[in-house]
Amino acid sequence: MADPLNSRIKTMIVQTLRLEGVDPASIKDDEPLIGTGLSIDSIDALELVVALEKEFGIKIRSSEESLAALSSVSGLVAFIRAKADPSRLPPV
Amino acid sequence: MDSCPVQLAACGCVSALGDAAETHAALLRGERALALQPVHGALGGDPVPLALLPGRNLDEESPPSWLPAVRRLMGACPDRPWGDRRHPVFVTSSNFGVGNLFAFRHNGELSHLNYGTPEACVAFIARELGWGGCITIISHACVSSNLGLVLAARQVASGIADEALVFTFDFLSPFVAGGFHALKILNSEYPAPYQAQAIGSIGLGDGAAFAVLRKAGPGLIIAGQTLYNEMHHFTAFPADGSGFGACIEPLIHLASGRRIWIKGHGTGTLEAGRLEAEAFGRSFPGSPLVGWKGSLGHTLGSNGLVELALAVESLHSGRIPGTVGSAAPTFSANVALGPVMDPSFDGVLCASNAFGGAHAALLLCHA
Repeated sequence: MADPLNSRIKTMIVQTLRLEGVDPASIKDDEPLIGTGLSIDSIDALELVVALEKEFGIKIRSSEESLAALSSVSGLVAFIRAKADPSRLPPV
Repeated sequence: MDSCPVQLAACGCVSALGDAAETHAALLRGERALALQPVHGALGGDPVPLALLPGRNLDEESPPSWLPAVRRLMGACPDRPWGDRRHPVFVTSSNFGVGNLFAFRHNGELSHLNYGTPEACVAFIARELGWGGCITIISHACVSSNLGLVLAARQVASGIADEALVFTFDFLSPFVAGGFHALKILNSEYPAPYQAQAIGSIGLGDGAAFAVLRKAGPGLIIAGQTLYNEMHHFTAFPADGSGFGACIEPLIHLASGRRIWIKGHGTGTLEAGRLEAEAFGRSFPGSPLVGWKGSLGHTLGSNGLVELALAVESLHSGRIPGTVGSAAPTFSANVALGPVMDPSFDGVLCASNAFGGAHAALLLCHA
């Protein structure tokens, strides 16, 4: 069964970055988020990190950790599952 | 490149460690001014490394708590009719009084608006220091003071001005610290410029400085200045680092025959630090590279002139503070971690960089 956190994060990416015309489901799980088709840059990454911290109550400590977390949707899901309070996450 | 030499007739700075002489001495001792403090001041937040003037709080006050330090600093500036047409003033900052604007939005105190815009803030300083109206206001992120030096030197070299005063200042506020913290490059680690490690971080510091330029004469001269802007992105450099080399390349010829050292930008971020150290290693092999932001923090738009004043102290004394806060391994072999005690140097290349790929460098040497 698909992880509901996966689709929630894809929707957050589209909404937070105002990616008009992008279907959240079209974002590939393992595609790098930065420097590829979505054209996410460091300012987008900042917006996304702020939104993720607020939504899931996580802390990202450094720009290097931020880049690692934003490696891909799959990487982001794993990062949030590892860092967030489980009560703030949808059950798998 | 501007290669009309101008005399650096006077220069001074203030940092969290004191005036130029006090700061230079403290850096030689390896002292770190940075201390972990809540990023949002009285509102709390994560602890981050900040270097504030002694006794100053991060939260903005009205009138600004940095005013006494500015008055003391400018007390050492030669007395001239600053701000008349033959003695223009160039005021540079990256943030001016933006912290006061934030404070006004936060608490509604109208007096904060007296300093909340660049124009209002500079008008306030001009009144305090008795300047006339011939003032140019410049802001170009962390090469702001470098740009002021270039424009001032042009006016002096062309004969438009007899002497020019460059004044620069950047004092921290929760608004400024919060912005860098949101980018995650200001975090709970102390900066270690040019150190090869897993996590990069910067510190932020208060800083202000002045320089008086006049046509070339005895003493120290700014032999040439370069600016190079890649116009790449709000925050990022091109990954190949070509802009670092492109900025300093014109100074290679100017420095030939001189024994120089390098005062780098060195904030503590990993990618920019590596690119910068490697560029200097390629262009100036054998010249030691030092950076001082591991102690003083990054004083933002004022860093170029604050660190120039410290480079002057170093050239005069033959004692160059090392890269405080850093340890091996470094990105390149030219990084000097400890002080360099060598009076035989006759020049220093000072470099600063800014968001988006804006680079600046100058060669300071004996006439």
